[in-house]
Amino acid sequence: MASALRSAVLRRIQVPIARSTVINGSQMTAVRSMSSHGDDHLDKQEVVDRVLEVIKCFPKVDPSKVNPDVHFQKDLGLDSLDTVEIVMALEEEFKLEIPDKEADKIDSCPLAIEYIFNHPMSS
Amino acid sequence: MASSLKFVRVPPNSANIAEARQRVFEFFKTACRSIPTIMDIYNLDDVSSPSQLRSTISAEIRKNAHVTNTQVIDMLLFKGTEELSNIVEHAKQRHHILGQYILPHEESQDVGTKDQGASDFLKNFYKGNYF
Repeated sequence: MASALRSAVLRRIQVPIARSTVINGSQMTAVRSMSSHGDDHLDKQEVVDRVLEVIKCFPKVDPSKVNPDVHFQKDLGLDSLDTVEIVMALEEEFKLEIPDKEADKIDSCPLAIEYIFNHPMSS
Repeated sequence: MASSLKFVRVPPNSANIAEARQRVFEFFKTACRSIPTIMDIYNLDDVSSPSQLRSTISAEIRKNAHVTNTQVIDMLLFKGTEELSNIVEHAKQRHHILGQYILPHEESQDVGTKDQGASDFLKNFYKGNYF
């Protein structure tokens, strides 16, 4: 009985064919389900929080002094080797490998946040 | 990592102090990037952390911060590279790493949670025997 009713109802129902998936159009490029990166990009606030967390965990840094505008050597009293150490800690945290030329330029919190936020592979 | 370090050649001497300084930073970065490998092959996850090892490496470099002679810096860099490649190639054993790099730097840090209830005698015993 139920199956007869069900088939009767199903025969009447018509669903319009969805026209939204265009094979060669731009909508197919929006979702790349097996892609390892791209749509899981970090948002700015998360990058800021994690960078500050890494810097606060650094043994020589006073956590109360850390804020998003801090300069490693001028404000936190670190030396050049400490700066490299922080950059390496950031590399580990965000699973990056920062080339030497860029790594030399990163000497303050805003620069680190900007570089990591703009890096496509940071996670 | 091990294979890339195998082909390291001795570079020519640094021309000036700036170049030597740059090489020290490069060495420090190479050492930091091999930390995950080192922690993996020597099973260091339960006794140390990557940030502790980084601090240890920088402390070892800082011991020689007073050196200004470029030839001496080059020699120290060579010895450091040699040590690093020995460690990465697993030419050492776990207790070498523990005794040389982890226990001496642990004095200032808190002892692991599992030793909290132990007496001073037992703590010293554990320390003296490299686990």
